[in-house]
Amino acid sequence: MNEQTSPNPPSNPKEVVASMTRMRRIFYVLPVIALAIPFVANEYLQFMANAILVYSLVTVGFNVVIGNLGQLAFANTAFFGLGAYTTAILMVYAGMPYMLAVVAAAVVGGLGGFLASVTALRGIRLYYLAIITLAFGELMRWTYLHADGITHGSDGLLMPQPSFFGIAMENETVKFYVFLLITVVLIKATSNLMRSRFGRAIVAIRDNEAATASLGIHTARYIILAFVWSGAVVGVAGAMFAALTERVFPESFSLTEVIVHFAMVLVGGTGSIIGSVLGAITLTALPEYFRQFPGMEELFFGIVIVCVLLFLPKGLVSLLRRVSPVFNERYYRD
Amino acid sequence: MLLQLIISGIAQGAIYALIALSLTVVYRATTIVNFGHGDFVMAGAFVVYVLVIMVGLPYVPAAFLAIIILFALGVAISRGFIDPIKAGPHIGFAMMSIAIGYVLRGGARTIWGREVLPMPQVFDIEPIFFGDVVFTGDALFICAIVAVLMVIFFLVFYRTTIGTVIQAVYQSERGATLIGINVRSFHEMMWGVGLGMGAMAGILIAPISLLHPDLGASFLIRGFAAMTLGGFGSLGGAVLGGLLLGVAEQVFGAYLNSALIDITAYLVIVAVLVIRPAGLFGRTIAVRM
Amino acid sequence: MDPLLKLEGLSVHFSGLKALTNVSFDAYAGEVRAIIGPNGAGKTTLFNAISGYSQPTAGAIYFKGEAIHGLTPHDISIKGVRRTFQNGGLFPELTALENILAGLHTQIIGGFFGVILGSRAAREAEREGIARARSLLDLMDLEFLADQEVKDLSGGQQRMVEIVRTLATEPPLLLLDEPFVGLSPPMRTRMMEIIRKLAGEEGIGILLVEHAIDLVMSSSDVIVVLSSGEKIAEGKPEQVRENREVLEAYLGYA
Repeated sequence: MNEQTSPNPPSNPKEVVASMTRMRRIFYVLPVIALAIPFVANEYLQFMANAILVYSLVTVGFNVVIGNLGQLAFANTAFFGLGAYTTAILMVYAGMPYMLAVVAAAVVGGLGGFLASVTALRGIRLYYLAIITLAFGELMRWTYLHADGITHGSDGLLMPQPSFFGIAMENETVKFYVFLLITVVLIKATSNLMRSRFGRAIVAIRDNEAATASLGIHTARYIILAFVWSGAVVGVAGAMFAALTERVFPESFSLTEVIVHFAMVLVGGTGSIIGSVLGAITLTALPEYFRQFPGMEELFFGIVIVCVLLFLPKGLVSLLRRVSPVFNERYYRD
Repeated sequence: MLLQLIISGIAQGAIYALIALSLTVVYRATTIVNFGHGDFVMAGAFVVYVLVIMVGLPYVPAAFLAIIILFALGVAISRGFIDPIKAGPHIGFAMMSIAIGYVLRGGARTIWGREVLPMPQVFDIEPIFFGDVVFTGDALFICAIVAVLMVIFFLVFYRTTIGTVIQAVYQSERGATLIGINVRSFHEMMWGVGLGMGAMAGILIAPISLLHPDLGASFLIRGFAAMTLGGFGSLGGAVLGGLLLGVAEQVFGAYLNSALIDITAYLVIVAVLVIRPAGLFGRTIAVRM
Repeated sequence: MDPLLKLEGLSVHFSGLKALTNVSFDAYAGEVRAIIGPNGAGKTTLFNAISGYSQPTAGAIYFKGEAIHGLTPHDISIKGVRRTFQNGGLFPELTALENILAGLHTQIIGGFFGVILGSRAAREAEREGIARARSLLDLMDLEFLADQEVKDLSGGQQRMVEIVRTLATEPPLLLLDEPFVGLSPPMRTRMMEIIRKLAGEEGIGILLVEHAIDLVMSSSDVIVVLSSGEKIAEGKPEQVRENREVLEAYLGYA
């Protein structure tokens, strides 16, 4: 194969990169625009918007392990449930204020992530990892169901009304602003993480684990990091979910939920933060709608995943990227 | 008492063994773990139900027809859904198989809703009494059939040309292509076989179990637990793992807590992967960095 | 001068296959030492054993006097033994720049919390890293492909990027696994120049595995010949060229 020069050598790489940086400021504008949503949405749409925020965070967290680290680890619902139940339990039994419970949810979720990573560290990969994480998730659900002294099992655990530093989160609008703040902060933090040596190490492990070790990168450390980060972020999403649904049920964290999360990652684009949000926006409304008809949810999500895999394997974000390179997500900060 | 539990456990475990074996067949032949397999087993059971109850066929012809239908479905899936994404990352196959399983499950639930369907008693074999121990007709029948299937399967795999071909393709696809084996047809064939065997499990389950769309998930996890215990990729291990799992469930359920029956499989998976990931007969699967 | 790398009686046996048997030699800083031999001679196994991807069954490996046999690839790499891979050690979905940055991983200081909070120190460290990576690419005239994903590059370009990445790690000992494969003749010459420069000017010890004997003859200081897992010759290119056993190994059997 002969040496080729690049088809369109940029006139000045630094200029192109600088203009990209300017264009990327668009992403900071979006949350500002979002502030206006409560003024135009009715109660139902507001609830949907809140659900979208929760699922955006879930998907962003999940994508770190599935997309960036590239491990088929389905412990997501376990983290989600851990976050929700931790929040509810601490608020009900220890009278903890909501925001503190959210932090606790992050910690517990992170611990769950650590546990899940232990298997990956022992060299378990691929199918084994998928199976053991699914098993982990189901074990957690069994625990929620049977530890009914604490969790009230299938009756669900009722959340006391959460408040944000004294402001009662009594309607969807207040919840929206709190959720928006949390979501934006965590998504930005995840983005910072990915655009650093940590993110590069994580993706390197995905792309070529043997070579990563040869560069002196301690692969175990970064596998743990990816899992713990994912667990913490999804744990916080669980805390938000608890405040959203006001009653925490074990059934919310079943295997069907895994499929929903999975579909969001695939539809949006694996390994992409923008994709995660897109996937959540596109698919959040649907679980709600389909829950009325038994079986439709699974049927629909199954078909969606099949279609995405066959026709748009890189997700919606790949379409956006064809339109403009501003949607490219690299792993360094300029 | 313990002996009775062990007998029941083996009868139950025979089904798990069959499911684990069919999963292993697809895995060995195509290196893909079919996460939708449980739902195919469920589909097999439902197809038999439809044929027997709605179409009115007797059990045995219905069983054969169901196996053929599922075999064809396996080939179709391989050709239509697995083959096109061959070029993508391996993780894609797992995703695809999960999704297809969900489509089947959702479809079944949409058609039958929340009903739980019973099949009429098919086996009219008298239970056998050995002192305190009872062998029910169903259990005897299932064990007998599974035993026969196992024998046939192992004979084919290890003694015939087909079996050699399977092993050849597994070890080197390129080599196999070079000696004239059509790998694509082979994969399709193997998906068909895997699903056909899964259908057999479903067919055996149908008469003794209540059918519902989530049947698949519970059998899938048992199949995985059996494979994990026996060692991924090991055919004998899959069978042994299945039997052991069946016994473990009955024993834990009786002596510890009946709620444990549901999660014995999960506990086995976690325990095996933590203590000895290779299982009983598997090769070491850990990556060393 | 003390040897940078010392192999003593190294053997690597897999069940049924004796990949390497009793191989011993020393390698020095600033020297280009080639490992050659017919297919199946054990060259890749040798590299894998030195860099920790294969466990020696017997014998010892010393790097700067320290025993490294039995350590993990990561630990060996940290000590200063770096390698390239025959089948591509690059990260395909990352750009050339990001690949180099990965090589600079251990040199970019940025604490975890600093990074996620976007602190000034973290961003500064990142910027320095990027500047270094771009200048490294520039040294090899590869700056123009910095922002392309390496999977889109030609084979020759990929090899060059991999070398640059390995260089970014500032290795005292560099193992190059078939660096000339897939390169056009002008690129091969370039590669040879780079290798000689690394050894001569930077004082790096270089071990390279290669099939093409002619390339190896002109670029190496010392040649080690393996055949069926055993060392059958070691010496300057002129000496090895005349060696009867070597000729037999390459031409003697089908």
